[in-house]
Amino acid sequence: MKILVVEDEAKTSRFLRTGLREAGFVVDVAGDGEEAIHMAEELAFDLIVLDVMLPKADGWQVLTLLRREGMELPILLLTARDAVDDRVKGFELGADDYLVKPFAFSELLARIRSLLRRSPLRQQEVLRVADLEVDQARHRAMRSGRRVDLTAKEFILLTLLAKRAGEVLSRTMIAEAVWDMNFDSDTNVVDVNVRRLRGKLDDPFPLKLIKTVRGVGYVLNGEA
Amino acid sequence: MAKRKWSLAFRLTAWYTVASLLLLVAATGTLYWALVTNLERDSDLFLADKVQVAGTLLRERPNDWDSLREEIELESAARRYDQFYTRLVDGHGKTLLETPGMNLVVPVEKFDGLSERVGLIQSVQGSPYKATAVTARVGGAQNVYWKIQTAVSLAQQQEAITRYRHWGWAILSASSILSPLVGHQIAKRGIRPVRHVAEAARRIGSSTLSERIQAEGYPIELADLALTFNAMLDRLEDSFDRLTRFSADLAHELRTPVNNIRGEIEVALARPRSTHEYREVLGSSLEEVERLSELIGSLLFLARTESPGTFIKPEAVRVDEMLEAIRDYYEGPADQAGVRLAASAPPGLQASLDRSLMQRAIGNLLSNALAHTPGGGRVDLSACHSSEGLEIWVRDSGCGIPAESIPRLFDRFYRVDQSRSQRPGGFGLGLSIVRGIMTLHGGNVTVVSELEKGTQVILMIPTSAATGPRKKS
Repeated sequence: MKILVVEDEAKTSRFLRTGLREAGFVVDVAGDGEEAIHMAEELAFDLIVLDVMLPKADGWQVLTLLRREGMELPILLLTARDAVDDRVKGFELGADDYLVKPFAFSELLARIRSLLRRSPLRQQEVLRVADLEVDQARHRAMRSGRRVDLTAKEFILLTLLAKRAGEVLSRTMIAEAVWDMNFDSDTNVVDVNVRRLRGKLDDPFPLKLIKTVRGVGYVLNGEA
Repeated sequence: MAKRKWSLAFRLTAWYTVASLLLLVAATGTLYWALVTNLERDSDLFLADKVQVAGTLLRERPNDWDSLREEIELESAARRYDQFYTRLVDGHGKTLLETPGMNLVVPVEKFDGLSERVGLIQSVQGSPYKATAVTARVGGAQNVYWKIQTAVSLAQQQEAITRYRHWGWAILSASSILSPLVGHQIAKRGIRPVRHVAEAARRIGSSTLSERIQAEGYPIELADLALTFNAMLDRLEDSFDRLTRFSADLAHELRTPVNNIRGEIEVALARPRSTHEYREVLGSSLEEVERLSELIGSLLFLARTESPGTFIKPEAVRVDEMLEAIRDYYEGPADQAGVRLAASAPPGLQASLDRSLMQRAIGNLLSNALAHTPGGGRVDLSACHSSEGLEIWVRDSGCGIPAESIPRLFDRFYRVDQSRSQRPGGFGLGLSIVRGIMTLHGGNVTVVSELEKGTQVILMIPTSAATGPRKKS
């Protein structure tokens, strides 16, 4: 998967490039609007991460031009301004998603992945991670063949983590996906719920599946 | 317009002067007119009186020459001022009796053309006289008519009038000089307090905002102005204080995480360390940065709620379902704290709201309620339709808020308990954000609290605002 990062701020573009490369993407960087348009026309990208504030041609212009040329690849806007009007404008001009600085890299990664996924997640009946089995149809979770008793919300939370196994999920993303709370709330709420889930899922077993990633969020994987 | 530039003192003086001069002119003019008419009437009456007396004597006692002589010759001769003369002329024009010397002053011919009426004549010497000639029947005889000629000098009268006129002019010219001077002084005195107010206003700057204008001793209108001005200063000082405090608090909130990041990184870089140690430092720094991002996010959000022209996107929201969802979300933390969390709303209650903003507002209130309610307590979330609109209540059985803190609750960074709220995520911005969200909805937020009993927060969203997007006023 090939991503074009359009960002004029040196440090930002450096960490974006490094981070995205390490996440398995091929990354090219453009430092201004004109270069971005040129590169997007010449090379085939799967996605563009586009900063709004750019020299020569700003993000809006780049977005407008690329859409007018009929390019349909997903474009994710980055901006320092958290104005609703900007958000609306972005979507009207054809942006697929929108992220306000400062943002968590994990959040960006998750959004890029969901934009590239195109087709919805494969509805696997049973999700398996190490000795964990999540049976979505029967609403049942098992570890090492033993049934784990979960509440409805805990089950949804576990399903989310298992579906995205290996992917770090921010607290905001978890709150949004499980409880439909789309605001940066007191993140303590998510911590409490994850702790309860851990109590049932991980505490009785030597292998802990849910890991805390400091300053970012949670990830479920089978690594020791 | 040049008119605008004239000073108030100048204008007052001008009006004062014009008014006083007009009044003076009117007064002196009226008095002059009264004096002249009075004097005229006096002399008219005097003449009529004399003629009447002489006529009566002639009619009643035509042969009493002594009385006639006394009346005509002696009485008038005895007068020193307001000289008057009387003469008796028979039907043939022959002088029978006259005041001594009358012939030399007003001879008989002067009275020609004055039969039966009062007129002005000039004496031989050229001085003015008022005179009359009246025909009188002589008693006893048939058809014998004599003429009584009387003349009174107007010299005294005219002198008085002239004197009066001189005085009048003198007074008018003196006051046309004096009244602008006096008027200016009065105007200056009158507007002196205005200047004091202006001076005080000029003196007051950002560092002397606590100064006030002393309104004592000012006239009512200006005292009112001074009080209004002071009230404005109160508000200004308050906003200024809040702003200063806000900056100081902001700097403090920023300093703590930045200091942590800086210190940890500096220490980590001081000598080579294991990967694990580096990871620890980076992880810790990330946590601090997360905190900073959250702070920035909240401040940006607040700025947005305060900027005019911010619109919200209301949608039809099932309030009962929304409250239940929020209760569900906070159930974990409530359970952990041993607090009973309940939500109740009439089934099917609907309102037009910005869903995620309302979630955020109610979420902030619940976080506060849970943080301040000890185990065993309860937090109730409820909603109802009142006459004014939708009301959402968050009630807790917590420790309550001291009355003196309530007015400041919505200030940014304000924390009731400065020491307690150092928990992660708590910046003291939650209630400011709640209020911002309510303002965007055209509603308001009220706090009622009793120490050791609990706190109620009521969110009020007017029905009118719920029908469409509302601009912040």
